[in-house]
Amino acid sequence: MKTPAIGTPGVFLRRLPVALMAGVMLWLLLRPAVDIAVAGLAQTLIRAFEHPRVTRLVVDDHRIQVHRSDFRSGSGIPTVSLAENNFNLIVLLALCLALPRPFSRRQLERLFMGCCVLYLTQTLNLVFHIKTLYATGLGEWSRQFYSDFARNVFGFGRYLTDLPGRFSFPFVIWLGFNWDLVMEMVRPNVEKKTRTASKAKKTRP
Amino acid sequence: MSLRQIWDRPDARFLIVFLTILGSSFTVIALNPVNDAFVLPYTAFVARASGAALRVLGEPAAVTGCVVSSPRFAVTIYNGCNALITSLIFLAGILAFPARWAAKLIGIVGGLVVIQILNLVRILSLFYIGIYLPDYFNDAHIYIWQSLIIIAGVALWVVWAQRFATEDGAPQ
Repeated sequence: MKTPAIGTPGVFLRRLPVALMAGVMLWLLLRPAVDIAVAGLAQTLIRAFEHPRVTRLVVDDHRIQVHRSDFRSGSGIPTVSLAENNFNLIVLLALCLALPRPFSRRQLERLFMGCCVLYLTQTLNLVFHIKTLYATGLGEWSRQFYSDFARNVFGFGRYLTDLPGRFSFPFVIWLGFNWDLVMEMVRPNVEKKTRTASKAKKTRP
Repeated sequence: MSLRQIWDRPDARFLIVFLTILGSSFTVIALNPVNDAFVLPYTAFVARASGAALRVLGEPAAVTGCVVSSPRFAVTIYNGCNALITSLIFLAGILAFPARWAAKLIGIVGGLVVIQILNLVRILSLFYIGIYLPDYFNDAHIYIWQSLIIIAGVALWVVWAQRFATEDGAPQ
């Protein structure tokens, strides 16, 4: 009886449910650190373009509290959910763990790089959330300090990095870093031919 | 590395085409006329389908616009809950991958049907989680089902690429 090769779609699909559960566990474990890391970089980015630097992001129960030192003492504190911001780490972890030899040095390096890119997208999403809040959610103050153009730019950035971005970034990052493995899995013959052709090209004088 | 060399790399070409289709399609559905003429009626249709499925399961569900309610629980189907986003991402993945148009058509039709069925299961399960396990509703809604739907979309894409996107459509 023929045993399936380790990189076949069948093996990948059978591994996915277990990989998904592992992804959820890992995310729950890493979540406090991810929350703080995303908030930290987002705060740095927002403050880099602020004069004076008034924004302070505080992580509380997986939500970001947006504090500004120029808010009145009695004013409500807006919050943004971090679960929705960084749950897509589960998807990236699951997709990477379902590939062949996920704990090899090469795959762990790819996973690390993928997580770094995803972290940047999550930070960008949070920055857009907060800038949209500033540009559209604070009534007369927003109208005073942000133009219609700025409102549209921040709103559109938030929209694109929100659902479309959060849903598609893990897939894009996974495929980008693991193109060779995924292509070997879905098109073994084509991939072999391509590799042979590129080798021949390289050795040609 | 020149632009031509980047374009000649199949991985880079796929990602460029995929992100271009994704960006354009999401820009189009963000426009107010498209939202009013297509996205809202489509979301209301998803709500009606969910209400009908709940009634089949014995739940006296009523649908008003995008709100599905019964005496025990109610949910609002928003834009992010109508599977449009997963469908567009899946569509971009199919269109950007080198394959024959017939294969792409099979992928689009088959994939979109499966995604809609999965989304219906998702809405029904969330409705019952809301009734029986309300404390877990947010967790199930935000990270369990959203992750499951994305993973299912990727799995469908992998199956399609292996079964239907044959070598004929691959770049030489």
